Amino acid sequence: MKFRRVACLGLIAGFLMACIPVFAHHGSTAYDTSKVVVLKGATVTKFLWANPHAIISFDVKDEKGNVQHWNAEAGTPQTIALSGWTKTSVQPGDVITVYVFQSKTGNLVGRLNKIVLADGSELRDSALGYKDTDK
Amino acid sequence: MRNLFMSSAVTVAALMACSPIAVAQRPQTLYQKLLAAGNTGGPAPRRDITGFWTGPLTPKMAEMPPLTPLGQQRFKLNFPDPFSEKSNDPWATCDPLGFPRSSTNETRGVAFAPMPGRMVILNQYQRVFRTAWMDGRELPKNIGAKGGPNSNWYGYSVARWDGDYTLVVNTIGLDDKTWLDRRGYPHSEDLRVEERYTRVDHDTLDLALTIDDPKMYTKPFVFATNRYKWIPDQEDEEQLCVPSEAIEYRKLIVVPADQDQAKGNK
Repeated sequence: MKFRRVACLGLIAGFLMACIPVFAHHGSTAYDTSKVVVLKGATVTKFLWANPHAIISFDVKDEKGNVQHWNAEAGTPQTIALSGWTKTSVQPGDVITVYVFQSKTGNLVGRLNKIVLADGSELRDSALGYKDTDK
Repeated sequence: MRNLFMSSAVTVAALMACSPIAVAQRPQTLYQKLLAAGNTGGPAPRRDITGFWTGPLTPKMAEMPPLTPLGQQRFKLNFPDPFSEKSNDPWATCDPLGFPRSSTNETRGVAFAPMPGRMVILNQYQRVFRTAWMDGRELPKNIGAKGGPNSNWYGYSVARWDGDYTLVVNTIGLDDKTWLDRRGYPHSEDLRVEERYTRVDHDTLDLALTIDDPKMYTKPFVFATNRYKWIPDQEDEEQLCVPSEAIEYRKLIVVPADQDQAKGNK
């Protein structure tokens, strides 16, 4: 009985480990892709639907209540459009939750994993927004 | 028995949580869908590659271009990755890619439009067009010489059919300020490029691009191969590199994210 329990737990652990998403790098090693920074209550200040990459600028309060000014990039407009983004997906004033891989410099800049809009819908980055198989 | 039941239930729950349905899948591009579908659309028409074609972001590139010593020297001067602060890639501020880089860098769309005496080759990226003369004229022999034409970004091209399914385009007169590709491989003004576009079937167009530049490379070699697919609705997309946007991107993202800068290594 004891052996069977250990075997079952081992099986579960194995499956859970295999499910940890692996985020492929789209060229840049400048971001810490080992952990996602989650920023709730972020207010969009600017959305650049531009090449080479789209950029969302937003303000969010840190633990002390100070306002942080962030810039996060996503893929090219043509590519993120496939994931549901449009030129007007976010507007200045929108309050969203941002999931971002931060720059290794510690500066308030990074590459998006995804954003969650006020209505609960999600928009994912083309490169770092998906569990990846082969890039 | 109860313990075994609980373990099984947890296992099943774990398996369900890890199922593909629970995790979002990256959407495919039109090109990826067409490649996967593998349609031929019927046989290739003769001497006809007219229309709009979709391709991948970049072609398959030669891994080890055979650089001469001078080529090695020039290669070391180029710092690729336009998204990094130390890069001197002219693409970083949207300079023209020039030829052949327009066929090795951002190849998501290409089109061919025959006109009297010429084939016009159109690149989706940057909305660039090139003229390949098909009226029997030869390539200029006096580029850069007194009375002759100057080298420039996209050079001078002539084209001819090789059989009924391959268009051969030859290009010279390319200014050496451009890179061959985004990795920064260099070229001299003596560069001669040959593109061979072969229509495999109605829906499939293959490209083999050969570089011949004895100053920089020890021998001619196939630098890039690509496969384009026929766009079903024949619509094109706009895809531009915009200088003001590139500058803004550099200010907002590239500089703050640059690690060397942050460590004070500059």
